[in-house]
Amino acid sequence: MKLILSIALLFSILSAGKYDKVKITEDMSYVFVYHKGHAIKIHRIQDIQNHLTGTYAKISYPCPGMCIQPISFNDKIETIGEVEVVKFIKNQVNNKKGVVIDARPKKLYNQGTIPSSINIPFSLSKNTKAMDNILTVLGVTNNSNGTLNIEKAIEIVVYCNGPWCSKSKQLITALLKKGYPADKIQYYRGGFQMWKSLGLTTVKTK
Amino acid sequence: MKNLQQTVLFFLLSIFALAQNNITEQKSSVTIEVDGKEHIIKRVEGKEVYLTNEFSLTSRPSPPFYIQPFKVSKGVDTYGELEVINFLENKEGVFIDARLKSWFEKSNIAGSVNIPFKIFLSDNDKRDNILIKFGAKKKKGVWDFSKVKSILLYCNGAWCGQSPAAIKALIDIGFPEKKMKYYRGGIQSWQLVGFTVNVPKKEATK
Repeated sequence: MKLILSIALLFSILSAGKYDKVKITEDMSYVFVYHKGHAIKIHRIQDIQNHLTGTYAKISYPCPGMCIQPISFNDKIETIGEVEVVKFIKNQVNNKKGVVIDARPKKLYNQGTIPSSINIPFSLSKNTKAMDNILTVLGVTNNSNGTLNIEKAIEIVVYCNGPWCSKSKQLITALLKKGYPADKIQYYRGGFQMWKSLGLTTVKTK
Repeated sequence: MKNLQQTVLFFLLSIFALAQNNITEQKSSVTIEVDGKEHIIKRVEGKEVYLTNEFSLTSRPSPPFYIQPFKVSKGVDTYGELEVINFLENKEGVFIDARLKSWFEKSNIAGSVNIPFKIFLSDNDKRDNILIKFGAKKKKGVWDFSKVKSILLYCNGAWCGQSPAAIKALIDIGFPEKKMKYYRGGIQSWQLVGFTVNVPKKEATK
């Protein structure tokens, strides 16, 4: 009995994702990543009848406030989509070379976020001390002569609530002002709304 | 008294302004003209409007549906909603709904013309006539795209490979990448960020 079970388990591990009905790309069904110490499988909801419901199915957004954002933030910072975010998690985050940053308020982050994201609320942009700490976390160090050493700054992907959200822009602007290298920043414009609209995995903080 | 009146007026105006779901801070709506027809592009009005139609489905089966990369090709710009609107306002070229006719007839983005993607995938007279209409020339089987118009393509959403397939097929026959634009979000993102869709009126049966 044990043998049968372990064979079944082995088989399910080996074939994980192979028979997924809803894949991410043609050659990728899922990616594993750690989120706060737990291994999370990022894949897509497999129920083809599933509808987006709740907050992120909302389409009435007041502007001023939630105005549509341009496709690119500036010509030095690359805009990416879901496929690139998943690949970034697979290659950069899993190899400790990069981190995904959720720029929304903590409350929203706790309600659900992209697995492996750390939360740096945009509101910290104006807090010099907090920004200094954030830069240290992201690998920026101080040279002995007081200048910044950005050589070991890690790659980051920044996102917020959706294409109508300007919080990523505020955080990226603050990081650039601090001297963070633009070529290590990527902007996921679709944000949490588009992530959810494609049925991709999210995690809550309890 | 006059001061009070002014204050009240200002207050009412600001409430009115706050209740608006504008596109950007500068634009509340955009009127475009295509083939002598006027269309208004705007975001849905109201406060609690949710997307409940088939575009709120999260998990389209693969194959054939996979999440598309952010870019189709290096030289083809990916557009967001603001860039689509600019393209239409400035009459920069042809806005193509690359989906099948049945989809287009249900709902589409104002200002688009329907040219199903399959037409672009093979060498056929229909395709040739369309490309000639765009300003391309064919001499002894060789295409000259030096005077071709810009084209902007979209389909159902970030999970739809139809407009990317059309763009790739056009690249293969030498259509300049710089003259092609890709609205990756498609009609799904268009609605998720709050834009209204154009529902063509059925022509009265004789």
